[in-house]
Amino acid sequence: MRHTRSALHPYWSWMWYLVPALFFYSLFMAWPMFKSLELSLYTGSGFNLDTFIGFDNYRRLFGQGVVAERFWGAFRNTWIFFAVHMVVQNSLGLLFATILSSSSLRGAQIYRTIIFIPATLAIVVTGFLWRLLLNPQWGSVNIILTALGLDALALPWLGLEATALITISLVSSWQWVGIPTMIFLSALQNISEDLFEAAEIDGAGNWTTFWRIKMPLIWPIMGVVSILTFTANFNAFDVVFAMAGANGPPNFSTDILGTYFYRVGIAGQHPVGIPDMGLGAAVASFIFLVLFVGVLVIRSVFRDKEEL
Amino acid sequence: MKKIAMVGLALLVATTLFAGGGREARTAEGSVGLTLGSWRTDDVQQINRLIAAFNEEHPNIAIRFDPTNPPDYNATLRLQLESGTGPDIFYARSYATGQDLFADGYMLDLSDQAFIASAYDEGARDPWQTPEGTQFAMPLMAVSHGVYYNVDLFNELGITPPATWDELLQTAQKIADAGYTPIANGLADEWDITEVLWMNIAPAFLGGREARLAYEAGTRPFNDPAMESVFAAVASLEPFLPRGYEAISYNDSKALFLLGEAAMWFDGSWTVSEFEASNPDFTWSVFAPPPPAGATPHITFHPDAGIAINPASPNIEAALTFLEWLSEPRASAVLGNELAGFFPMVSNPPALENEKANAFLQLNEGRELDVRFPWPRLMSGDPSAYSLIQQGSIGVITGRMTPREAARALHQGVTSWYTP
Repeated sequence: MRHTRSALHPYWSWMWYLVPALFFYSLFMAWPMFKSLELSLYTGSGFNLDTFIGFDNYRRLFGQGVVAERFWGAFRNTWIFFAVHMVVQNSLGLLFATILSSSSLRGAQIYRTIIFIPATLAIVVTGFLWRLLLNPQWGSVNIILTALGLDALALPWLGLEATALITISLVSSWQWVGIPTMIFLSALQNISEDLFEAAEIDGAGNWTTFWRIKMPLIWPIMGVVSILTFTANFNAFDVVFAMAGANGPPNFSTDILGTYFYRVGIAGQHPVGIPDMGLGAAVASFIFLVLFVGVLVIRSVFRDKEEL
Repeated sequence: MKKIAMVGLALLVATTLFAGGGREARTAEGSVGLTLGSWRTDDVQQINRLIAAFNEEHPNIAIRFDPTNPPDYNATLRLQLESGTGPDIFYARSYATGQDLFADGYMLDLSDQAFIASAYDEGARDPWQTPEGTQFAMPLMAVSHGVYYNVDLFNELGITPPATWDELLQTAQKIADAGYTPIANGLADEWDITEVLWMNIAPAFLGGREARLAYEAGTRPFNDPAMESVFAAVASLEPFLPRGYEAISYNDSKALFLLGEAAMWFDGSWTVSEFEASNPDFTWSVFAPPPPAGATPHITFHPDAGIAINPASPNIEAALTFLEWLSEPRASAVLGNELAGFFPMVSNPPALENEKANAFLQLNEGRELDVRFPWPRLMSGDPSAYSLIQQGSIGVITGRMTPREAARALHQGVTSWYTP
């Protein structure tokens, strides 16, 4: 008996250390999430949700008139928002990291700081700043474009359906490009110098070294960056809210899942302003599902080659 | 970032929820404390002076003005009332938005209060009555709408306020030829183009109250030629809006007009006191929205704020005392003069000291009045007439829709849920 207990002890005692974390996680994350899933099956007047309606909220969300039209519009826009971040923010991040990790670069510290500064600013501040810069009457973006003789490009960038969402995505990419840069940089710096020396001896140039050595070794890190980008973008709200407001103007072209959820579940539609919390909970549950599936897919794509 | 925002939001909600807790403790012994909820965060000093005037006659009733950020007001108020932390008295929205709170039992029935009927006309009481005639709030203030214009600029160019829509377009052309922006309005915030342009000019084009009742009764379709003409009039302003109007916000418009770069601005009377405070030397005035040639001129004079009592309040008697005092001439005079641009709705309105507020009020003379078109009956469905008018107005300005398409979308959208 005694023998068994001492054998079990080291295997099971560690569980006690999880209890505090588990407690807070359950109380503040799992429980609200579960309640939100439950809420999406109810309806009622105002904030008092007392009528069980099964999957009616989801039926409305996916297929009923204006509600569904706005929802699928927001879903599509979120993918565009995500695509711009993947292409612009993460490619630039990788490029900056490759340049910064080069041993022949002088003043790397300074560039690194400059690239990271926007990520330390509040979105309300950067959003307001960019709204001023992009203002069609007195914004410096259009003043500079006009001075360069590019009058045709001096557009109301945030006011046109074709450009508003892309503009906001680019501002957001500008703000957060420091994060992937830092992650890629630390990954690149972890690669052993021996490998580069060996490659050089074998006659590999910069291009070959990048594709044959750096890329495969930071492949799992790209997965991490993709997951961070994906979850941040499908949860995004603040940058659009700061630059365009919660209604997704013009004509819902900047409406993403975050602003749609805010409008439906929290703020309500101006001027009546009473939210439909059951429908909002359905949107939140859908976002949760998208994130869950998305992260699984990204993980399988970017799995470490050695694990395969 | 998102997490920080959520924590901030949670703290905000927590402070709003618990803010009401201390109110009993603050008042002196033997006196009663009331909280007054409102969406007018700009009016704290003015309302405190109104309360001071009230306390000269009723020193035992202390009132704390506790306004909420305007876009959050309806949701916050409902949350407070449902969780039992609502204010004792609060501003009430007119028509359906107010009625919904009454229907759910969060407003005291004021039908038996004789002072309301004696101080306010039938027409003034109507926006805060249920269809059965129950009075759920007392009328307080109305707002007006018009066109602000830069007097110096008009004098410099030798032009006078236009009397018809065609004259407006000619005037705008003259201003544009002189190198100024004729009209300051933009599309970025969306609500302003809907509420201060479309709903400002619509009554004259449609035929006022009678026409509105005909639309509501179903005897006129929402896409008749008159409705198309409103959208056409909105579209006709496109050449005269500021450069890049698609991204010009309400505050940008305000700045363009205040800086003298734009000559005219469609807006409501609520901006009067703000303009006087921010630039007292700027000479401006208002003219009535020009009707089409031959039509009766109209003003959109909209019942904006009523005042209601929370039936769960422990001090209903004191709340009724305050409402009765508000209906008296002295209170109306304080209210009208403190809040320039908001007009007391009593049947014998006081003489206003503010010159600009009077200018707005004088527009009513010789013109017929009506409320904002969709407010009385057409707001509660999805899509609401409000959002259809908004999309239509923006659509015709940007050229995405023709006036005919905008009117048809309004008709199809409203009739999909509304039955007369």
